[in-house]
Amino acid sequence: MQNFSYRLSHAIMNNRGISILVIALITAFFGWGCRNVELKTIFSDLLPAEHPFVETFKDHPNFGNPLTVTIMVKRTDGDIYNVETLQKIWNLTRDVDLAPAVDHDQVISISTEKVRYAEATPYGIDTQPVMGDSAPKSAADIEEFKRRVDMAPLARRFYISQDGTATIITATFIERLLDYGQTFEYLQGIVEKARDGQHEVHMAGMPALTGWVYRYQQQMIGIFAITGIALILCLVLYMRNLAGVLSPLVTSVVTAIWGFGFVGWLGLAIEPLIMVVPLLLVARSFSHCVQFTERYYEIYLHVGNRRKAAEIALSVMMAPSVLGIFTDVAGLLLIAVAPIPAMERFAVFCGWWAAMLVPANVFLSPLVLSFLPPPKNVRQITGADGDHGLHAAIKRFLGHVATLTYGRAARVTTVVFLIITGVSTYEFLQMKVGNPVEGSNILKEDGEFNTAVAAINRSFPGVNTLEIVLEAKNQTNPDRVARQAETIAIMAKLQYLIEHMDNPPRASLSFADYLPEANRLFAGGNPKWSPLDPTNEATGAAVGAVMLGTSPKAFLHVTDFEQQNATVSLWYKDNKQETVDHALAQVRKAVEMVGADHPAFTIRLATGTIALQQSINDTVAHYEYIILGALNLVILIGCALAYRSITAGFFLLIPVNLANLYLGAVMVELGIGLDVNTLPIASIGIGVGIDYGIYLLSRICEEYQATKRYDHAIRAAIMTTGKAIFFTASIVAVGILPWYFLSDLKFLADMGLLLVMVMTINMVLAIVVVPLMVWLFKPHFVTRDDLLVGESIDLSQYTEGRALEQAELKPMAAAQ
Amino acid sequence: MHIRKYDAGFSRRQFLERTAKGVVAAGVLQPLWPLIANAQDTAKAYPEELQSIDAYTKGKIKTGDIVDAGNVDIVKDLLDPITFKQIKEMGRRIKIVKTATDPLVLNSNKYLEATVRNAGKAKLDGAGNVVTQDGKRWIGGNPFPNAKTGEEVYANLSLSWGRNDVGFYALRDCDISPSGEIAYKYDFCWVEQNVAGLTSDPNKPYLEGFDDMLRFQTVFFSSPNDVRGTSFLSNHFYDQSKFPDLFGYLPAFKRERRFPTNQRFEPLVPGLTLFLSDAWHAGDPMLTWGNYKIVDTKPHLAAAGSNWHGDRPGWEPEVHGGPKGISFYEYEYELKPEVLVIDSEPTGYPRAPVGKRRTYVDVRNMQGLVSNTYDRRGELWKLVEAPYGRYERNGKTVKDGNGEVVWSVQSCMAHDIQSNRLSRFYMAEEIGGGYKPSWNSGNLYEQFLTIQAIRRLGSS
Repeated sequence: MQNFSYRLSHAIMNNRGISILVIALITAFFGWGCRNVELKTIFSDLLPAEHPFVETFKDHPNFGNPLTVTIMVKRTDGDIYNVETLQKIWNLTRDVDLAPAVDHDQVISISTEKVRYAEATPYGIDTQPVMGDSAPKSAADIEEFKRRVDMAPLARRFYISQDGTATIITATFIERLLDYGQTFEYLQGIVEKARDGQHEVHMAGMPALTGWVYRYQQQMIGIFAITGIALILCLVLYMRNLAGVLSPLVTSVVTAIWGFGFVGWLGLAIEPLIMVVPLLLVARSFSHCVQFTERYYEIYLHVGNRRKAAEIALSVMMAPSVLGIFTDVAGLLLIAVAPIPAMERFAVFCGWWAAMLVPANVFLSPLVLSFLPPPKNVRQITGADGDHGLHAAIKRFLGHVATLTYGRAARVTTVVFLIITGVSTYEFLQMKVGNPVEGSNILKEDGEFNTAVAAINRSFPGVNTLEIVLEAKNQTNPDRVARQAETIAIMAKLQYLIEHMDNPPRASLSFADYLPEANRLFAGGNPKWSPLDPTNEATGAAVGAVMLGTSPKAFLHVTDFEQQNATVSLWYKDNKQETVDHALAQVRKAVEMVGADHPAFTIRLATGTIALQQSINDTVAHYEYIILGALNLVILIGCALAYRSITAGFFLLIPVNLANLYLGAVMVELGIGLDVNTLPIASIGIGVGIDYGIYLLSRICEEYQATKRYDHAIRAAIMTTGKAIFFTASIVAVGILPWYFLSDLKFLADMGLLLVMVMTINMVLAIVVVPLMVWLFKPHFVTRDDLLVGESIDLSQYTEGRALEQAELKPMAAAQ
Repeated sequence: MHIRKYDAGFSRRQFLERTAKGVVAAGVLQPLWPLIANAQDTAKAYPEELQSIDAYTKGKIKTGDIVDAGNVDIVKDLLDPITFKQIKEMGRRIKIVKTATDPLVLNSNKYLEATVRNAGKAKLDGAGNVVTQDGKRWIGGNPFPNAKTGEEVYANLSLSWGRNDVGFYALRDCDISPSGEIAYKYDFCWVEQNVAGLTSDPNKPYLEGFDDMLRFQTVFFSSPNDVRGTSFLSNHFYDQSKFPDLFGYLPAFKRERRFPTNQRFEPLVPGLTLFLSDAWHAGDPMLTWGNYKIVDTKPHLAAAGSNWHGDRPGWEPEVHGGPKGISFYEYEYELKPEVLVIDSEPTGYPRAPVGKRRTYVDVRNMQGLVSNTYDRRGELWKLVEAPYGRYERNGKTVKDGNGEVVWSVQSCMAHDIQSNRLSRFYMAEEIGGGYKPSWNSGNLYEQFLTIQAIRRLGSS
């Protein structure tokens, strides 16, 4: 018994004061780091950093309007050409100009001076805003307004819907000044105020999406409180004693402080979208503690001394606990393999937190238990007086389950699992990459934001763009590449080619679209002057006409401020995967036809919502299996070392991979595809789920030593450790499931549901498939008594403690 | 001798009391205006603490010192908020020089003569326009040298922008991006011909034939090639409630374009941060703005009159600061003893993105020093800063058509601190196209200030 874990346990329990002091100092250090913790969504960090589309996006952040909010006003009982609606648009536009961090030069609606019409008059080209110095106030004013709108083709195309019932206001924000939460709350306030019986008002755009996520952070605090209370309630119901409740609470709080403090010191922002995982870790901390505490009680019952019981429990539980936590950590850390910055930060934060379960759960837990008064119901909890109530019911149920895993029933169970596995494999192969909804997959499809996106998509070209970037080779080219004839010609040609392919985009726009109208007007107004001569002089003249008296900011969606780079924007009807594939194929073909390399510029694919969605899908598809493969390898090595058997490693990997397979099948049935929301699930599922297998297999090994019979060992293991697994899986479900029902963030709801599902499947497989495989294959390692992870111990050497036990238990019995 | 009564606290108390009571009376130790009228040193009107940074800061900053991020907090209350931010956060620095006090240095000579000559002859008519006591257009100089209200101060700024009857300014511009690099460069000419309130000849306060006009003004670009010949013509009416006519001309099409008259908050060409509305802190007719209010009277640090660099090649000032070290001009600043802070709002522009403009005006010459605009939320938005002074340095001088040493604007910086884009331009010795600056050198109307003229400019 004088092994490392025993010596360490002995040292810790003999120096309890110092041990507590060290942990308290570390906690104080990380607690101080917590003041730097920042919950922050950085959307660009949700994108895979190395993907060429994301690189294009980062090099040209203006294209695709990521900082633009679109507000649509729709008249529900007619068109917008009435005094009331136009006044509402005027007021709303002025209110938008008051939004925090708005770029005042980039607030555009039909009521701003930037939406103009132009006409050639004998005195020159007269350009005026389509709306005068106030909203139209009479029928005559409205007729004049309509006349002007008819003379403003781009305004008609992009700012008023074809049926005339809707119009949009766009506002771009200055990123350096933008506080998403503050700006969103302001805009949402004016949008809600503008709604009435005759007007729908919708708001979309990345700042609005981020604002919704920020708003739901408040909701998250509420859900945290609910799940926290539910978890504590579970503990109270299960343990019914102070030590059993307080010990998991203390260790979980300490781990949380270490987790948050660590990222606080590192200065890493925590992505609120992944906060369900720390909650999973709290639940994991609870479950580790519960398993430890149950073991502690069993030993305490024998040795009758709290300090000694804690020391023995620590020495026997150290190895399986560390191994279990090691797999959690591996699962979480390996998520960082996917080069998505938010996932990398997530892996560091959660991986560290999980790793800290070792010192907190394995070492602090016994220290806390050794100080707390002995539980009065220790005999009930351990079943020493026979099981009662819930504990007995669970045990009886698990006894029935155990019979499925050995003897004749095992064959039937095997066949059933083979069939389920076959069907699941078929389903799994149907799994699609990508999980498109109209709008953002982070929010619910019927939520206000996605409803807004759908409404805007119905009335306008929409928000699903694919941007083809024409990038200057020399960013300080004195001739300004976006103003050159060849650049303009290639833009126009790309648009022409793509618009003449099958299933063309709904609309396309480039800087080239602005030039013919300017050319026509300045050349005298005759339509024959619309086409540009293909010379730099003619193109430059048209550009000069467009830019005269205007800030380049008005064209930032098509060319950058310095007019070196430009984009061709293509609007597609939706972002479903088939549309995305089709759009990318179209664009690649068109670029191939015009050539990507030109003397002054290169054509780069691509940015915009469609390209960025594809970049995530590509990365998820690529790294999902790399992560799983690496995780399997790490766990195989870890388990093989712990059980000193490679067979044991494979034994444990089979159920968790089966769990992943079954989860995939369920996802296919539920219509959920692989995406960034689901990327961490499989990894966490395997890392965390394998714990159950380790605990059960260790117990089977231990029980086997007592009876040398597989069926008895399996039954005993399922009814003891299986019960703990059942409880811990339940506690994880209690911790996470509320997110599915309560969170308006689909991202969190999806993660919550899938995590509960994968953990539940893992539990069932651990309780049924692991023993079933032991029964079927009867592996040699089970018969060995020198396993690193064995929990067995000869308590007879502590029997002198029985006297103490009796002394301590008598008053308890009296109290009962 | 230092008279203890007249310490900085005394001056400050007196300024506060005056502002609170709505009383404007320039000068602390004695009234300012009689000194100026008699060409006496304005120093007599103020205690030492208001004319010496050494005294004001009790020696923490001395004349000749550089104010930068390290010590700007000492003089925070002497700076406008954007200049303070530029120095504190953006790497700008300023050099403190001795405060000029001679009225002949503080003013264009002819303009000062007219101001003295015509003192007391101006009034605001029922519509708010400046007229003589007998109801005629103004006859030259500051109509309200001892201005008592915000409107009167702005009348001084609006009637003669450049303080010369005719100005032909050859300007070299750089527009700096948020990353501190040059995004656009232009050479352009700003031509300004006043037709009322002329000062060169006391007997000819008006240019004949333009009875209802105040001035004509053209901006035309001579470089780079893609904008060469592009020009804008503004015809300003004497009635300050009327929007100027605004025409643009594109040489490539040989066609002018008429702009919305109230389009005053857009750049003329891509990259410029200075809008028509911003020019001279009073780019728009004064009655198209409103709610003028004197909100403070205070000593202030602002650009001195010594920022013309005739001793440098092409008169180009040195630059520094910003991310690439080229954002700001090196300016010499002086402590202005008494500055009026005027707020006004663009009441005539229902779509204006500006909420308020705060202008700092030196009471000694009624010259705008710097203005900060605020957006409608009340957030700081833009700075316009332009030093004025005599064109003389190290023995080099420039003279105008009257044979006087030129007193004029020397350079300008316009900084949108929200988007962090900055335009800076200086009066150049010569710009692309061979244009050179001149002042009061004959009538430029036919040559530069008609539609036919801007057509000609475009085709030349």
